Amino acid sequence: MAMPGQLMFARRLGPTARLAIWLLAGLACVVIDSRYHALDGLRSGFSVLLQPVRDVMRVPADVAAELAGFFTRHRLLQNERDALLLERAQLLVGVNDAKELARENAELRALLRLRDRPGQEVVHAALLYKGHDWFAQRLTLDQGASGGLRTGMPVIDAAGLVGQVTRVYPGSSEVTLVSSPDQLTPVLVERTGQRGLAAGTGRGQMELRYMPAQTDLRPGDRLLTSGIDGVYPAGIPVAAVNRVSRSQSSPYLRVECMPLAGIDRARGVLVLIAKPQAKTR
Amino acid sequence: MNVSSHASGNWRRILGTLTLAVLLEQLPWSGWALVARPDFVLVAVLFWALHQPARVGFGVAFFLGLLADFQDGVVFGQHAIAYVVGVYLVLYLRLRLLQFDPHRQAAQMFPIFLGAQAAVLLVGWLAVNPPTGLSILVPALGSTLLWYLIALFMCLWHGKGAQDRA
Repeated sequence: MAMPGQLMFARRLGPTARLAIWLLAGLACVVIDSRYHALDGLRSGFSVLLQPVRDVMRVPADVAAELAGFFTRHRLLQNERDALLLERAQLLVGVNDAKELARENAELRALLRLRDRPGQEVVHAALLYKGHDWFAQRLTLDQGASGGLRTGMPVIDAAGLVGQVTRVYPGSSEVTLVSSPDQLTPVLVERTGQRGLAAGTGRGQMELRYMPAQTDLRPGDRLLTSGIDGVYPAGIPVAAVNRVSRSQSSPYLRVECMPLAGIDRARGVLVLIAKPQAKTR
Repeated sequence: MNVSSHASGNWRRILGTLTLAVLLEQLPWSGWALVARPDFVLVAVLFWALHQPARVGFGVAFFLGLLADFQDGVVFGQHAIAYVVGVYLVLYLRLRLLQFDPHRQAAQMFPIFLGAQAAVLLVGWLAVNPPTGLSILVPALGSTLLWYLIALFMCLWHGKGAQDRA
């Protein structure tokens, strides 16, 4: 009956009672956190505690990447350099155009007495960690409140919009991806200018919601941020339309899109910080 | 037998393995490795709940669960509840589990890991939103495999039948 090391007489609560107590504590945590957001202090505490550990544990991957980069073939690097030089030349032409356009735009806006578009500052952040969450897709970045980040800021990479900063700790921050379920992004179709709302579906995809059945949409159309929400600056590429289908039961089109940003591949991302501007018109 | 030195050695081993498990979770996992990654902390907690139930129990499991919740950026309590449920199941099946060889032990642990993942799924479903697929249950496979390897190692290390002296 009684195993060695097991008590003959119960002097403490049995496992079932203890399970019940801890389950109650767990449920209390869930409710307090999801309803009242009262445990953010605990999150910050954990983040401060784990930050150095995370930095250390990232070293092996970084070293491996360094080594892989070191042993890349010379010819490959030369090709890449040539391609980059060409791209740079093309971009420089574009930049000159853009400068000219920006000047012209500023003058026209001044003539029309419109508000200036908000200026932007960019903070570079490295991808620290990918969350193991099946309910929302998140990334952890190595920049936090000390880098000037606040919740709500857009995060981009070279190809497009990655997501939005949703939690900020002193030395790190969490980004909810555009492809995360119920993450809404106001977009417009680049070709037609039609505005719409893109939502994540999970599984790394997005859908364009509430597009009337007669909307002009084709596979391959790019979706850009429309900028009407005041959160994302206008014109950031978000997704490309993959498939458009019509369903009998719904008055809206079913539009499947693929995010453009290298959400699964990016190692470094940029956080856009809007420069404060005068509120007066 | 010097009980106190034996006990402190045990504490050192428990803390060491739990720390190692937390560290392994901190590695920058991605892609399919992230999907199939065993839940190292859960495996470590359940291992010690099986072999040292007086030292590692509900409290430790709950705290490490909160840590895992932070790690994944999910609502607090999700993994804490799952780990506590796992510890309960292990305590419930403890005498049975201790008599099994590694194969059977791992086979018996699989439903427990699956139950813990199901608890994560259920709490997330109720508290946040519906999950995007059943890939949430995949880590149970990885955890079972890890458990089998550990049990095999313990078996070879201590000799058959002496596992509970870990």
